Amino acid sequence: MQAKSSYRDRTDEFFGIVETLRRSIAPAAAANINVAYGGGRREDPRSAAVMQSEFNRRASVIGLAIHQTSQKLSKLAQLAKRSSVFDDPTREIGELTAVIKQEISGLNTALLDLQAVRNSHNDERNISRDTTTHSATVVDDLKNRLMDTTKEFKDVLTLRTENMKIHENRRQRFTNNPSKESTNPFVRQRPLASKPAPSQPAPLPWANGSSSSSSQLVPRRQGEAESSPLLQQSQQQQMVPLQDTYMESRAEALHNVESTIHELSNIFTQLATMVSQQGEIAIRIDQNMEDTLANVEGAQSQLARYLNSISSNRWLMIKIFFVLIAFLMVFLFFVA
Amino acid sequence: MALNLRQKQTECIIRMLNLNQPLKQSGTANEEVYKILIYDKFCQNILSPLIHVKDLRKHGVTLYFLIDKDRKTVRDVPAVYFVQPTQSNIHRIIPDASEALYDTFHLNFSSSIPRPLLEDLASGTLKSGAVEKVSKVYDQYLEFVTLEDNLFSLAQQSMYVQLNDPSAGEKEIEAIIERVANGLFCVLVTLGVVPVIRCPRGGPAEMVASLLDQKLRDHLLSKNNMFSEGGGFMSSFQRPLLCIFDRNFELSVGIQHDFRYRPLVHDVLGLKLNRLNVQGEKGGMKSFELDSSDPFWSANSSLEFPEVAVEIETQLNKYKRDVEEVNKRTGGGSGAEFDGTDLIGNTKHLMNAVNSLPELTERKQVIDKHTNIATALLGQIKERSIDAFTKKESDMMMRGGIDRAELMAALKGKGTKMDKLRFAIMYLISTETINQSEVESVEAALNEAGADTSAFQYVKKIKSLNVSLAASANSASRSNIVDWAEKLYGQSISAVTAGVKNLLSSDQQLAVTRTVEALTEGKPNPEFDSYLLLDPRAPKSSSGGGSHVKGPFREAMVFMIGGGNYVEYGSLQELTQRQLTVKNVIYGATEILTGSELVEQLGVLGKKMGLGGPVASSSSSGH
Repeated sequence: MQAKSSYRDRTDEFFGIVETLRRSIAPAAAANINVAYGGGRREDPRSAAVMQSEFNRRASVIGLAIHQTSQKLSKLAQLAKRSSVFDDPTREIGELTAVIKQEISGLNTALLDLQAVRNSHNDERNISRDTTTHSATVVDDLKNRLMDTTKEFKDVLTLRTENMKIHENRRQRFTNNPSKESTNPFVRQRPLASKPAPSQPAPLPWANGSSSSSSQLVPRRQGEAESSPLLQQSQQQQMVPLQDTYMESRAEALHNVESTIHELSNIFTQLATMVSQQGEIAIRIDQNMEDTLANVEGAQSQLARYLNSISSNRWLMIKIFFVLIAFLMVFLFFVA
Repeated sequence: MALNLRQKQTECIIRMLNLNQPLKQSGTANEEVYKILIYDKFCQNILSPLIHVKDLRKHGVTLYFLIDKDRKTVRDVPAVYFVQPTQSNIHRIIPDASEALYDTFHLNFSSSIPRPLLEDLASGTLKSGAVEKVSKVYDQYLEFVTLEDNLFSLAQQSMYVQLNDPSAGEKEIEAIIERVANGLFCVLVTLGVVPVIRCPRGGPAEMVASLLDQKLRDHLLSKNNMFSEGGGFMSSFQRPLLCIFDRNFELSVGIQHDFRYRPLVHDVLGLKLNRLNVQGEKGGMKSFELDSSDPFWSANSSLEFPEVAVEIETQLNKYKRDVEEVNKRTGGGSGAEFDGTDLIGNTKHLMNAVNSLPELTERKQVIDKHTNIATALLGQIKERSIDAFTKKESDMMMRGGIDRAELMAALKGKGTKMDKLRFAIMYLISTETINQSEVESVEAALNEAGADTSAFQYVKKIKSLNVSLAASANSASRSNIVDWAEKLYGQSISAVTAGVKNLLSSDQQLAVTRTVEALTEGKPNPEFDSYLLLDPRAPKSSSGGGSHVKGPFREAMVFMIGGGNYVEYGSLQELTQRQLTVKNVIYGATEILTGSELVEQLGVLGKKMGLGGPVASSSSSGH
């Protein structure tokens, strides 16, 4: 298809007009305008602007980082899709996995930081309501994107595990030799993947204030990290020279239970995100308008009712006043 | 390359949201820029059928406001304005800029902003010293509302009244024609094509066509035009044909009742900008969206209503089966033993079930939506016996008349005043010679029903003044019969066996469709040779002479001045399926009108001519 532009840039024309207009105005007046303009500028609450741009800068940095992470992720996905037995890029995958994991946890903390910045801003009075909404939306958007990236990452890992299992089965079928400890891919992959886990910072104290979607991320990743010691344990059991089939089957069962638990946790997180995603999918921009209209109408009717009640109260007051006066009259007449 | 207007316009809007920067492969901008979108009422109508809040978020729009709203300062954030180039909008933008509401201003105008307004903007911003705030000014050429892939509307209201108003002056008519031509020009720019224009001689169609031709010529002369270069080697085969018609060309289609799903939903329930409000069971209004993202709607909207009901039923059954399947696999509720060997398989199934849930819920929603709509429709149809009106009207158009007894029965039977009025007007249009006594009795019946007869009077007057209007409509349907008699006969047997109502009417072809078919085929046809032919690419002297622009056309665009409707749209889309040469037809109109809206416009005209019955105020309560 041909690359066409169905729009026309008229910025130059606009600035051309501005130039001619500026020249046509007397230079003195123009200078005045400039002075006034500069003065008006100085009155601006500078600090607020600086803080806002701090927020923006951070947001764009996080956005860029998420973008880069997702690019790495797509590379990882390509590697993981390779299913040939012979050139198995286990090492690369392990490294990439570790890097991505680190990045995601780093982004998570950065996002929480950003939210803290936003919250501290909101406490100040001189920030308009629109600004608050804007920054809230930015944070939400970033959160959603990070969420998506994490989900994608998890999918890739699941795919990788499946592939590994298939390999393992194939290898066993052909070699018939239970030399598991040397070839078991989980051993090689897992320790690498779990390396950054200890260095992962504990959830920051203000993490409680964040929305549930982001706070879910942290515990889940810890859960993953915890599962690997379990694996190593089962591995050690196998190293015991007893080539007992019974033991092996026990290990297998344990393994299965572990994977089941893992899958279940996946289901729960998926359900949680599904519920949270329902929200804004189907909203159209004119929906807001109608809601507003309904609200305004409701407010109007409420006001009308209030007016009615007020006016009836007024009548009541006048009546009471009259009764009081009458009493006073009677009182004065009879006593005096 | 099929022209897909909806896709093209969406692309344009997304590009605008990304500050007119080039897009990357992934569809998002290079850098994440968070911005605020400001639009006016008209542009909201453009945006709302095309793009959802979710998509806006995806392209970095955090807040979206109407321009008239009282907005607060958001520092350090660029704002994208998408507004019509009008005086009032300019006067809203200038204070925004001088108060420095936003960091930078990207101004996008829905059509070309005239020079005086641009000067206004320049002087206004210069005075308040905010010129630096305005970073870009663009003409977007997007001043039309795309409802479906091949359907657009210029959203210009009561065009029919304005064009046919006897008191309208030359100036006003010219202004209207200018607006229509501008809108069409925007559509063509968005599509990026220069079509060959054909239209019947005389009337507004010719005026619009020649003005559009002029515009395109002027534009093609300038060096950096917005149409793809290399028009020289493009044969007529690749260029689309633009047929422009006037509503008076075939008035009856706008008025008659129809029994297919989409026209019915539009006519009876008032589909507006792809959105529908239906009275729910508990009195609350429910709002539905019907566009190409709804698979059921796009698959079945051209079917007749009974078929749609059947289709909903089958979909519902299929859905129920699938749900049962999922339940069975996961063993939910059956209380099966939970033994170890089955554990792995069980979670696998559970995973699968969870994964299939979103798809199932989506289907469920679609089915629910259409069940609701169909129920509401059925209620209306029963109450107003629309099926009877549809049948009798199509009979009238076929035979060119109706039994007096049947006519009276329809006018005295069920149905709203508006239905009866529409039926009476259809009767007027279909009959060749006016039988005075019959017309009087029809009028009496209308009065008895309490309908506002000014529209009826207007059509009667026009008919007696200008017999050719009715004659053309009539001769069209007449020759139609001759052409299609054989086919109809063949299919009526199957119609009886299938028990489907109104098969006759669905095979009846509209005059517009027949004309478009003949014009796209490009074969010599005495009926249409008199049509004006304008080719903006050809040199002025030889226009109309070149035979290369007469050849068969693959793409066609049809534009109806003075209000189109879904009946014609559906009929033209059927043409693309039936015919070999035409692959794609885009249909557009100044606005999409329901039958009653058109009749109301006729009524307004009738009143302007000093006609109309004593019950003038009842027209609004007719529907």
